[in-house]
Amino acid sequence: MGLSVSELLMKVVLMIMLTFLSYSVAYSSSSYKTTMHTNNWAVLVCTSRFWFNYRHMANTLSLYRTVKRLGIPDERIILMLADDMACNARNKYPAQVFNNENHRLNLYGDNVEVDYRGYEVTVENFLRVLTGRHESAVPRSKRLLSDEGSHILLYMTGHGGDEFLKFQDSEELQSHDLADAVKQMEEKRRFKELLIMVDTCQASTLFSQFHSPGVLAIGSSMKGENSYSHHLDSDVGVSVVDRFTFYTLAFFERLNMYDNASLSSLFNSYNPNLLMSTAYYRMDLYQCHLEEVPVTNFFASVMKTIHTDSAYRSWSNKNIAEAKTKNMSSDQSISDSDRNFLRKLDEVDQFNNLTAEDYVRDSVGQIWRAILSTVNTFDSIDTFVCYGMLLMLPMLIFSTWLSSK
Amino acid sequence: MGLLHPKATFPLSLVFLFLFFLMASAEEEFLEELLLKPLPDRKVLAHFHFQNEAPLAAHSFARHHHLFPKSISQLVKKFHIKTMELSFTQGRWNYERWGGFDPISSHNAKPPGVELWAVFDVPQHQVDASWKNLTHSLSGLFCASINFLESSTSYSAPEWAFQSALGSLRYGTLPREAVCTENLTPWLKLLPCRDKAGLSSLMDRPSIYRSFYHSQRLHLAMPTAASNGSKSGIILEQALTVVLQPDNQKAGIDHVSTKIQPSWSLSSIFGRKISGRCVVAKLSNIYLHVERGPVTQLENLQKKTSKIAANDTGPEDYRRNSVFELSVTPERVHTELEKSSSSLYEYSIKDYKDIEQFDLGLTWKHPVVWSSPHAPLFASRFLMGSGNERGAIAISLKSTEVTEGLAAANNVEERCKLQVNVLQIVPWYVKVYYHTLQLLVDERPQVLTDFVERMRVSPSEDKVSPGVMELVLQFPCEMKSAVLSIEFDKGFLHIDEYPPDANQGFDIPSAIISFPDYHAGLQFLDKSQSKSPLLSKLQERSPVLSYTEVLLVPLTTPDFSMPYNVITITCTVFALYFGSLLNVLRRRVGEEERLLKNKEAKKGVFFRRLLTNVSAKLRGRPSESPLPPPSSSSLFVNSKLIFRVLIVAGIAVAWQYYSQ
Repeated sequence: MGLSVSELLMKVVLMIMLTFLSYSVAYSSSSYKTTMHTNNWAVLVCTSRFWFNYRHMANTLSLYRTVKRLGIPDERIILMLADDMACNARNKYPAQVFNNENHRLNLYGDNVEVDYRGYEVTVENFLRVLTGRHESAVPRSKRLLSDEGSHILLYMTGHGGDEFLKFQDSEELQSHDLADAVKQMEEKRRFKELLIMVDTCQASTLFSQFHSPGVLAIGSSMKGENSYSHHLDSDVGVSVVDRFTFYTLAFFERLNMYDNASLSSLFNSYNPNLLMSTAYYRMDLYQCHLEEVPVTNFFASVMKTIHTDSAYRSWSNKNIAEAKTKNMSSDQSISDSDRNFLRKLDEVDQFNNLTAEDYVRDSVGQIWRAILSTVNTFDSIDTFVCYGMLLMLPMLIFSTWLSSK
Repeated sequence: MGLLHPKATFPLSLVFLFLFFLMASAEEEFLEELLLKPLPDRKVLAHFHFQNEAPLAAHSFARHHHLFPKSISQLVKKFHIKTMELSFTQGRWNYERWGGFDPISSHNAKPPGVELWAVFDVPQHQVDASWKNLTHSLSGLFCASINFLESSTSYSAPEWAFQSALGSLRYGTLPREAVCTENLTPWLKLLPCRDKAGLSSLMDRPSIYRSFYHSQRLHLAMPTAASNGSKSGIILEQALTVVLQPDNQKAGIDHVSTKIQPSWSLSSIFGRKISGRCVVAKLSNIYLHVERGPVTQLENLQKKTSKIAANDTGPEDYRRNSVFELSVTPERVHTELEKSSSSLYEYSIKDYKDIEQFDLGLTWKHPVVWSSPHAPLFASRFLMGSGNERGAIAISLKSTEVTEGLAAANNVEERCKLQVNVLQIVPWYVKVYYHTLQLLVDERPQVLTDFVERMRVSPSEDKVSPGVMELVLQFPCEMKSAVLSIEFDKGFLHIDEYPPDANQGFDIPSAIISFPDYHAGLQFLDKSQSKSPLLSKLQERSPVLSYTEVLLVPLTTPDFSMPYNVITITCTVFALYFGSLLNVLRRRVGEEERLLKNKEAKKGVFFRRLLTNVSAKLRGRPSESPLPPPSSSSLFVNSKLIFRVLIVAGIAVAWQYYSQ
């Protein structure tokens, strides 16, 4: 009997340790997921060569112009254009690219910077950009130097099919390749959130292999559907824009970087009758509610300022990061107009952290503090656990009764 | 007094320090100039020239500059560049019409695409590594695929065509490279005023890229100080040469019929005016270069119409004459030493108000026909042969009026010679047979050794290096034409090595023809006072250089879809064959039927088992009643039960935690 009691004690201790362990794992993983949003990057890819694919370059340049207008600087945009349309001999308007037949807007502008162009736009280079595995001589301007707090917009357009996207009419990027690259990025902590936007035929099939959390995907068409061009410019002589991109731009034209239109409003703006295809969204890997996520999370560079009393202190960095993580969820719902309130909130949090500094000394204390804080924030947790256990009790009795001989 | 002394010296030393820095910074200077020149074929040449100079301080590595672009100085320091030239060109310089014997054409006429050459100040074995890193850096800096020059198949080390930089020079071209706004943007960012003020504000992108020829050049040089032979500084020259067609519509139709050159102004060719100089520029000048042809005609006309004394020509007369009229009076006029030669009108840009802008216009009044000076020989290159197996490259040299005059002048003396250097680089897949080199002089085949003075050949190595041929030829001056031809076989590439648009053909880079005995350079009267780098460039005695056309060689391209077709059809055949064979050999009909029956029987077996279990429990409960009481007493201490309770509690806590 004494043996069984000691055995029981051991088991109890083991159980407590196990729960503790699982808790700490959950805590650490959640802290990784909620790192602060540090910067925005955009990778814009046009994969089609030849003059008749003018519209793909116009698509990409339209997005380039939009993200640049919304505040992402050139050094954080990787622009890949597979051919030169602006100074093409067939272009009647040299150094100009239009996405509308009214020619009101020259997409090429005066200050365009193309990072990969012509023969450089290959599947290999594209995957190298995503995964960050370059030769040592490759200059910084051609690298995606994102970190674990980056929001990345990946826009691709070209000719595609079931689970592939053609590059330069000679090679293909398959959905597995893309998913592997994204997985690698996730493991290397190269992004916090990734929005993949693809405008090709059967775009949705390109997303079928994704497993990495934090990935959100929008495709212009479902499997078996084509993505069509919007209209033909008889002066240029070819179609100048694709439908999906045209309506995406129509959505963004009335936005500035301080708007907080949500991603779901962007998704709802796609009308299948106008697109002549069904826009596809894959959001099962994305944790936040799309109603609460502003489009400026991906298409603009909106920086949050953190007010600190002292710039350099040995431990202040950690505290700020934690204070920030707590605010993240509430942060997104709060509009930019009442930032003062937010700042106060920040300060209060920081103050709390400073007083609780003794706990932060060692890692065990930190975990314990986290458990305490989460337990204390919910008043109803005790009652809830009680109810849950009561509910579980009949099931427990039933199962033991069934299994007992 | 003794107490005051240190206090007094401190501000004084500060002042000295400040003065010293001021002097140091004053050495850094930026100059901007623009040369305009009407061309004989109704076009206008605009040549922008920006010069940026910085002293090189070896001791301070991470030095900040006032005007000089830091990215360039870092490049120079990192890769130990002695001299470098990078050019982006579209269109082809028309040597016949636009001239080939003046400093502009021999410096700024470049082969289409990208041309890069650099001389490094590193040991021989490090030159290739430096070159590779340099190409990558430049590709990032100028938004171009210059990094394709990294592979050893695309660059070479010519020895005679350029300066005597034995061994440490590398040369590479990318004839197919597109040039557009994205290349101009970073180039303009190197200027202190970018394109916001000064002459560069004229650069309207659509007008530049609409032009017949545009070449954007960047030249880096490290002049050595005369005193100690060490490097004194960096000189960065940026030049943009554009050949534009003035708009005829505005001038009216009558000009076309009367053969009068079209009139133009800065605003009509660029669509913009100059609103002021770049404030930090030490010099901001515009020159109008009128060639010998119109000037002689003008003089003839003046002789005919009215006898004006030679010393009477003030600036007003330069502005209005019987051939053309300028909208702005020039500040100074430079004329060449020789009588009746080209003249240069100088304007300096001041700071203009918003309303008043500088807009130079030229209106022709009298039809003028002239031709620009030509290089001694007019070079062109073409392909011979047909089919996808072999062909031949031919370089033809035709004499121009320069050599004819020379021949006439030197007829009496000993045989005059004309030296021509030829540099021809061919990619490895064009397999040149150097023993087939033939020379035809005045359409008669000649023995090569009679004309070739020196020859250097480095044959191509498959997938490793291109073939380079350098020739130094001596021709008699009275020669009318010469043709050099060489045969080649077309090679095969691996399927992965073909570019995506392989059907378009492959480019053979331009050959370089230079005439080391001839020097292009204008001699102006007032040599001493010109501080302008553009004027000194024009007066510099530089060797005459011309580039030939880029050749397009169609290679045999495979049917790229063929492997897929073969794979697909083979797989289909194999699948049909093996599938049916296995079907026949292995199929057992009786077995299948039995399996089907079993499957039907198994349907819903789980629920039935559960049901029977429960009913058996219910029915068997009274019979097994003696057993539960002892077990029920130990029920509360049962380890199994506690384990389950803990699990449930754990699940509840975890669920609660996650459901926040």
